[in-house]
Amino acid sequence: MVNNEANIDLLFRNGLRDLEVLPPADAWNNILPVIRRKQRPVILLRSAAVAAVLLSISFLAYKWSREFSLTPVNPFSAYENAVQPVDNPLSGRAARQLPFIVNDLTDQRTVIKNAEKKAITVSASEEVIPQHAVEYLEVPDNSMIPENIGIPVLASASTGLRYRTAAIDAGFAKPAEIIYEIPAEKKDRWSLYAGASPDYYMRPGLKNNEVPDQIYRSEQSRISYSGGIGFAYKINRKLSIQSGVYYASIGNEVPGINSFAGFRPFDQTKGDHNFEVVTASGRIYTNNSDVFLRDISADRVLTRYTNDVFDPVKSELSYLSNSLYQNFSYLEMPFILRYKIIDKSIDFNIIGGVAYNFLVSNNVHTVIDGNRYDIGKTEGLNPILVSSSMGMGIEYSITDKFSLNLEPTFRYYLNPFGDVPGVKIHPYSFGVFSGLSFKF
Amino acid sequence: MPDIINVIKGCLAGSRKDQELLYRRHAAKLYAVCLQYSGNDDEARDILQEGFIKIFENLIHYKNEGSFEGWMRRIVVNTALEKYRSKHNLYRVDDIDSIPEPDASPETDDYSGLEAGDLLMIIRDLPPKYRMVFNLYAIEGYSHKEISQMINISEGTSKSNLSRARTILQKKLSLYSGMNKKIISG
Repeated sequence: MVNNEANIDLLFRNGLRDLEVLPPADAWNNILPVIRRKQRPVILLRSAAVAAVLLSISFLAYKWSREFSLTPVNPFSAYENAVQPVDNPLSGRAARQLPFIVNDLTDQRTVIKNAEKKAITVSASEEVIPQHAVEYLEVPDNSMIPENIGIPVLASASTGLRYRTAAIDAGFAKPAEIIYEIPAEKKDRWSLYAGASPDYYMRPGLKNNEVPDQIYRSEQSRISYSGGIGFAYKINRKLSIQSGVYYASIGNEVPGINSFAGFRPFDQTKGDHNFEVVTASGRIYTNNSDVFLRDISADRVLTRYTNDVFDPVKSELSYLSNSLYQNFSYLEMPFILRYKIIDKSIDFNIIGGVAYNFLVSNNVHTVIDGNRYDIGKTEGLNPILVSSSMGMGIEYSITDKFSLNLEPTFRYYLNPFGDVPGVKIHPYSFGVFSGLSFKF
Repeated sequence: MPDIINVIKGCLAGSRKDQELLYRRHAAKLYAVCLQYSGNDDEARDILQEGFIKIFENLIHYKNEGSFEGWMRRIVVNTALEKYRSKHNLYRVDDIDSIPEPDASPETDDYSGLEAGDLLMIIRDLPPKYRMVFNLYAIEGYSHKEISQMINISEGTSKSNLSRARTILQKKLSLYSGMNKKIISG
């Protein structure tokens, strides 16, 4: 009888193995439009998301730049003290100097005096001081800057108009040359920084993949963190590149798995592990022979000690918890480009790049009365993850050398955490990195 | 002819040509699976269409490990299962007794005259719940425990359905075999 049953099974299995039947001709025509329709929203959604991020960043950047530009600060005030040093012996004479424009055709000089918006013509015979002498720019707003303050500029900065100094007082035609030092641009190209960030991980759902999706949905991301040190190199005023080494710890909760302690006396097997737990990131293998695991609602726990073989309650094992916690630790090496869009006392940057994450440790534990109880490890994790990141950076200079950084960053993992058939999760995370940087 | 990896890559890139190529290559085999799991052609066509839509949607999750054909087959079988679960209460269960007894029992289990098409016809004649269990157990190789979870029945019911399916198949095989012999002998 058994043989006959097996024969029937084999007959159908072998007989139908290579069977091919041409489907109806219109079947493909019904499939294609659906694929097209389903592909389009994904592309549209992604495009919309990227556009939204870019628009938000642009809007924020615009808003910030407006706020800074509307701040009523005299842009020349920094020079006022430099131009009028207390002990400048020429300050009294300089007060009587006014700028004028030389007309190359008529050789007439027009003195610009903003206070009254009048042009005073001076005769061509007036002696003109040579180039490289002190030159003055038109003062734009008389109400803010006293009339007698001159603004020195480099000769090369003039555009079309030739600014020269004229002496109204004929007795003072040729003032002594004064050279003012314009502060050189800082050359702090390198910076070191240290900081940390809490990260919140999110994972997209799995469509049309029932069993893995159930496993996946039953799990919950936990607040994770990352921190480390790095360095940045300023390629030019706007652009810098940064790298470093971070330590990132990612947590995941697998609820619905009851754990018990005290199983060691009952463990009669020689295997290296007694329990396996199927999770979306990989398969947990217990390495603690004292632990007993049981799935409350599904069949995620694979073991020889099934419910009909062993009852932890009857055997008076100590109940620990109903959740397992997976922890994955990575060493992260980012390569980030940073573009400065606002260069003020609070800088505003756009940052983006990739990071290589090397798995350095992983463990699974449960918690009983605030204490960790080790369960085992997750197998099947990808040893190297590549993530892309995009964010905004706000940098506040505390001193010339030190500044505070705040970087809200969105990160997307380009490869999945683990090699679980049917479950390829590309998680994404959001974190706010804050830290301190030192320029040198 | 481009290899399957390139075709998959093309499909992932949204190439209509590669999508159609993938369909043309595998549709006949997968349609046979659909027929095996369904009682009528319309249902089989629906399963095929939904199955292919899922295949295209999930291609990104396919890792180049194991047989691609096997991966596609699993998706189609899962689609058939979903369809069965959604309307299994509507199915009528034929009684085994309604199947006529063969004129005479064959001396041996000689079904060499039967072709794959005959086997497909016989299996499709099974009541849906027996057909489903027989397909999953005998053809796909799932255990009764797995089947019980897949179609929400107990393991005992799965075993019982399999046994009934075999009995019906045995009867029908004998009928076909007997008919073939009559035709051959003239």
